[in-house]
Amino acid sequence: MEKDFIIAGFGGQGVLLAGEVLANAFMLDCKNVTWYPSYGAEMRGGTVNCGVVMSDEEVSSVQKSKSDFIIVLNQASFDKYTSWVRKGGSIIVNSSLAKIAKTRDDINYIFVPITKMAQEKLGNIKMSNIFALGVLSKVSRLVSLKTLEKALYNVIPPHRKHLIPKNIEALKLGYEYDLLPV
Amino acid sequence: MVVECLTGTKVLMKGNYAIANAAVLAGCQCYFGYPITPQSEIGEFMSGKMQQLGRAYVSAESELAAINMVIGAVSTGVKAMSSSSSCAISLMQEALSYATSDQLPVVLVSVMRGGPGLGNIYPSQGDYNQATIGGGNGDYNIIVLAPSNVQECIDLTYKAFYLAFKYRNPTILLADGLLGQMMEPVEFYDYPYPEIDTSSWALTGAKGRDARVIRSYAPLETDQCVYVDNLFKKYKLIEENEVEYEEYMTDDAELVVAAFGSMYRNVKSAVKICREKGLKVGAFRPITLYPFPSKRLSELADRVEKFLVTEINMGQMVRDVRLAVNGKARVLFKGKAVGAMIDVEDLVEEIEKQMGGV
Repeated sequence: MEKDFIIAGFGGQGVLLAGEVLANAFMLDCKNVTWYPSYGAEMRGGTVNCGVVMSDEEVSSVQKSKSDFIIVLNQASFDKYTSWVRKGGSIIVNSSLAKIAKTRDDINYIFVPITKMAQEKLGNIKMSNIFALGVLSKVSRLVSLKTLEKALYNVIPPHRKHLIPKNIEALKLGYEYDLLPV
Repeated sequence: MVVECLTGTKVLMKGNYAIANAAVLAGCQCYFGYPITPQSEIGEFMSGKMQQLGRAYVSAESELAAINMVIGAVSTGVKAMSSSSSCAISLMQEALSYATSDQLPVVLVSVMRGGPGLGNIYPSQGDYNQATIGGGNGDYNIIVLAPSNVQECIDLTYKAFYLAFKYRNPTILLADGLLGQMMEPVEFYDYPYPEIDTSSWALTGAKGRDARVIRSYAPLETDQCVYVDNLFKKYKLIEENEVEYEEYMTDDAELVVAAFGSMYRNVKSAVKICREKGLKVGAFRPITLYPFPSKRLSELADRVEKFLVTEINMGQMVRDVRLAVNGKARVLFKGKAVGAMIDVEDLVEEIEKQMGGV
């Protein structure tokens, strides 16, 4: 089984870090995994994305044109990546920064006001990325909260360790968010 | 990002950092380099780590200076390296020709990006010819190793240092922007090869012994012939002993898809899918690009009907495959100049087309 993930948003939303946490979690689950950043002549304030591929066997390509799970944290990413979702796949949309709209009927839409939740429940919009991973954990059923927690310890550098409890709270809130269809 | 040299622990790491860590663990004493995307993390890591370990790091004024510093360092018998990319490797060609003739164990990491000219920073495999044929003058060969995942970036960095010293010959680790930038779980281990004795040739000061000269020429015509003949005796040994390749389901294959480096990953996936559809197809990957596994390809060509070579370039390795197959089978090519690897779905479609559309 090979599953593809894309996380996309503005530069500064923690997209690459969220991908790194997810990739570490798969590593801790003894899966084969590859993480690949968006790459090219990027500019500040532009969009950024990363791909994570998890596989029971060797990972093939990280640059596929279709993906099973996509997290989009802003409107530009939502516009770009809707067509990238594999048939039957899921897109998790940050409805705080993207308009709720369904243009396809062969994929699952999960609209969550991620930025708003991060601000209101966690007091910091910087928690959006990890909150989104909590949502992904529930939607995908491919990675547990426990493993994501462990992965946080791998990724977050020593001088920022004091932020881990807050991030774990973000994961839980994301996971517990009521995913009723809009 | 903090990267430490951990032995025996699985860590998620970028290809560039993996190469740099492996070089440090292999005992590289000197790093000389000049930054260029997509391999700048190697120099970045070295700039801190080498100083920390009391080894040498020089941010050179140019690529030309960097590679010549490596020549200077290795002539004293220590392990030294540089790393760079495509258009900057071009600037090093003269020095590489000299290093082959000087018989110096230069290790160079080449992380390919788009070309020709300045090109762009997207991944590419367009420097197959640059590495295996080269742009230096004269008859020479450079050992070229091509990893296809991040773990192999470590394994083959170790091997590059070993082969360079074993044969006193420049060795290139040929990665690409994709491998350099991607993160995968890897495991480090101690340098697995024996240390090569350099006491018979290294320039270590002539105290208590006759002076030595490392030079790249013999002044007389006949002497130069002998000199180059000796180089080629060495190349023959390399070709006999060091060929490395990977094969997948080639036993009964009617079509074999060949690729090197990161492109092979998709090839293998495509072959798996085609096998499930009942197509007799296999995959082949040269790990050493020089020495090229010509003999094995020639053996395969005795029963394989077609070879399909896929590369992220306009057809470079395909020529070596054609030479190896020597007309015994059809050799087809599918590639593009630069960018993402060819999709597994596209490869499957191409394989089906070539096998008569099942």
